[in-house]
Amino acid sequence: MAGITELLGLTVRWAHLTTSILLVGSAAVLLLAGPSDRPTARRWDVRVAAAARWLVLLALATALASVAYQTAVLEDRATAALEPAALARFLLETRGGTVWLLRGSLLVLLGVFVALPADIRRRADWRAARGQALFLALGALMLVAAAGHAAAVDPGTAIAVAADAAHLLAAGLWIGALPALALLLVVTARPDGADARPYAVRLARRFSRVALGLVAALALSGVVSASAQIGSVAGLLGTPHGRLLLLKLGIFATMLAVAVLNRRLLPALGGEAATVGRPAMRRLSRLVTVEAGLALLALVIVALMIVTPPARHEQPTWPLAFRLSLEALTFSPDARARTLVGSQVTVLGLVAVLASWPVRRLRLPLAAGGLVVALAGGAIALPPLAVDAYPTTYRRPEVAYHASSIAEGARLYADGCAVCHGPEGGGDGPAAAGLHPRPPDLRAHHANLHTAGDLFWWITTGLGPMPAFGDRLAPEERWHVINFVRALAAADSARLLGPVVERDRPWLVAPDFAFAVGPTAARALKDYRGQRIVLVVLYTLPASRTRLAELAQHYGTLSTLGVEVIAVPTDAAPDALHRLGDEPPWILFPVVTEGAREIVRTYRLLSPAPHAEFLVDRQGYLRAITGALGDASRQINLLLAEVQTLNEERPAPPPDEHVH
Amino acid sequence: MRLWKAALLMNLALLCGVGWGYLFWGVRADRLARELEAGRTGPATLGAERVYEVTGVVRATLPDLDVVVVTHDEIPGYMPAMTMGFRAATPEILHSVQAGDAVRFTLRGTLPSLAITALEKIAPRVGAAEDGRP
Repeated sequence: MAGITELLGLTVRWAHLTTSILLVGSAAVLLLAGPSDRPTARRWDVRVAAAARWLVLLALATALASVAYQTAVLEDRATAALEPAALARFLLETRGGTVWLLRGSLLVLLGVFVALPADIRRRADWRAARGQALFLALGALMLVAAAGHAAAVDPGTAIAVAADAAHLLAAGLWIGALPALALLLVVTARPDGADARPYAVRLARRFSRVALGLVAALALSGVVSASAQIGSVAGLLGTPHGRLLLLKLGIFATMLAVAVLNRRLLPALGGEAATVGRPAMRRLSRLVTVEAGLALLALVIVALMIVTPPARHEQPTWPLAFRLSLEALTFSPDARARTLVGSQVTVLGLVAVLASWPVRRLRLPLAAGGLVVALAGGAIALPPLAVDAYPTTYRRPEVAYHASSIAEGARLYADGCAVCHGPEGGGDGPAAAGLHPRPPDLRAHHANLHTAGDLFWWITTGLGPMPAFGDRLAPEERWHVINFVRALAAADSARLLGPVVERDRPWLVAPDFAFAVGPTAARALKDYRGQRIVLVVLYTLPASRTRLAELAQHYGTLSTLGVEVIAVPTDAAPDALHRLGDEPPWILFPVVTEGAREIVRTYRLLSPAPHAEFLVDRQGYLRAITGALGDASRQINLLLAEVQTLNEERPAPPPDEHVH
Repeated sequence: MRLWKAALLMNLALLCGVGWGYLFWGVRADRLARELEAGRTGPATLGAERVYEVTGVVRATLPDLDVVVVTHDEIPGYMPAMTMGFRAATPEILHSVQAGDAVRFTLRGTLPSLAITALEKIAPRVGAAEDGRP
């Protein structure tokens, strides 16, 4: 039952979209064709205008049905579709409903306008009639952009909605005009319609010229919309929305091919003379009818895409067994050379294809040869880039890179993974010796070649001697383990970080954590992003007392320089504040009394010293680690110098919340 | 009437409608912003006595100045969460706490001189006992 209602809702949306587009297109094509004195042309004009009246009625009816369907979906009960109160709520209090209201009023105005019997013998009146109809229909069509997927993009809403509106405009003017154009060509191809053949050919020529610009606008706005809604190859190939787009692009390419054929036919159709041949007209009319049919098919795909969630909100399921990755080249110089050579060959082939355009003679051999060379270049360049891929390769982690997740992952890892992979991921666990092949070093640099999704697949289904953990660990637990493995790798490379900040080179993300001071509300390290530099101090009493006192004395200076100090007791004692005492100098920066255990478990990976200080910049990257307690006064000046370095840098883009 | 005149009138009417809608939306947005501001800061009657209930943790006491330094939560309509000193109305309040105590206190007075008039210690948050997990 639910399937039938969904199908009904989809059909109603498709019908509404098609009628709206046809209204725009038929008004535009009438305007483009101009008035005529030939009886066949006049009859066609009258027929299209009459059809427009029915189209407006149908558009309004399907609009009402769509509104009722959407109200029922929003309120989650079928009876809401018939309740005036529920409909009023949808129409007045939601943005989508308000847009429907505006569009509906424009369509009502259009309906009244086309229904009025008016004297359009004078040229100005004729133009006003067609032009006003086009204007109202275009307004109704382009408003759809304000309530579609593009309106939900944030940030960049204005550009997304503008691209969507431009796409609708171009589609309405091109696709919507094809059926009316096809009708005229079919009618004039008949023997009794021969009087209007020059008129029809003139219209076809004008339309062909305009269509070039419209197709370019369609392609450009489509690219902008796709990058906002889909955003990646994984989204394109791995989600229903992306695959629908590929289908739509296939239909579009076919339509383009037919349109190119039409353009080739037009010069052969002669000039103004009424002796335009019937077979030529029949051929043209047939091709344009095919184009119109393909356009209506494309609209079905568009209606399906409207009700499918956009690819960027979905977890993609990669369909192929391999993927192309430039990182595969970093470990093999031969592969680099091969790819370079192959890419140059491809460029050569593409240049030959482009060069064939202006050349008259040898055009076909040049283009074909260039295409072959380009494909050969691809065959040379691409295979080294191929890396194994699995269905979950492009899945984004469900859990953020957070100290609580890493601490939980550490616990799960110690229980189930350390026995083979070793306590720090080095592949040196007690059971590792008997395995073939041996477990790899999880911290090695080439582990970055694999995505978090690859790790998820291997943990779920196993790899070689490694068993499958899909039954033993819930998906969330598997992501915790993956966060911990990434933290192990980060810890290994954190050895490269010293007490001195490398200017303009942020690369290590500081794991986010939650903390609370006493009974006050919990905060996160992420809250300081974009605002303050954070110095996370893991301290152990009594050795750290002098250093803490020193930081407290200079807290004013540090605050002025934009630094917040967060002190974390390594024993995670809830009475840490009591232990620090209240002798001057008073320690007034945050001291973590809740959440310390996870922070220590995570940050201990990055530095095992009993007193460690981690300097995190304003974007959330870890820039310096100080382990030892040295000469106090020298240290505070060094700290101030590093803080000043960070203050002078240009801000980098903030890191992703999830591992890759 | 000639059709082109009718079309022109219709477009003018549409333009007026759009303009009116824009102005109406502007007036509404302005009114909503003012309501939000009034709701955030509370009734702005200067000179009236203010009373606030605040939760926080004591960081230090300054007996010479009658000041208790507290890390406190946001006080809605007054100030965000921060660490600062408050005047204690009586010496008993000052001497009843030491650094590290979790407290809930009443802040009373007329701006700008608010003082702590009542203070009680509260238990640490449930579950914070052994492992420090929030």
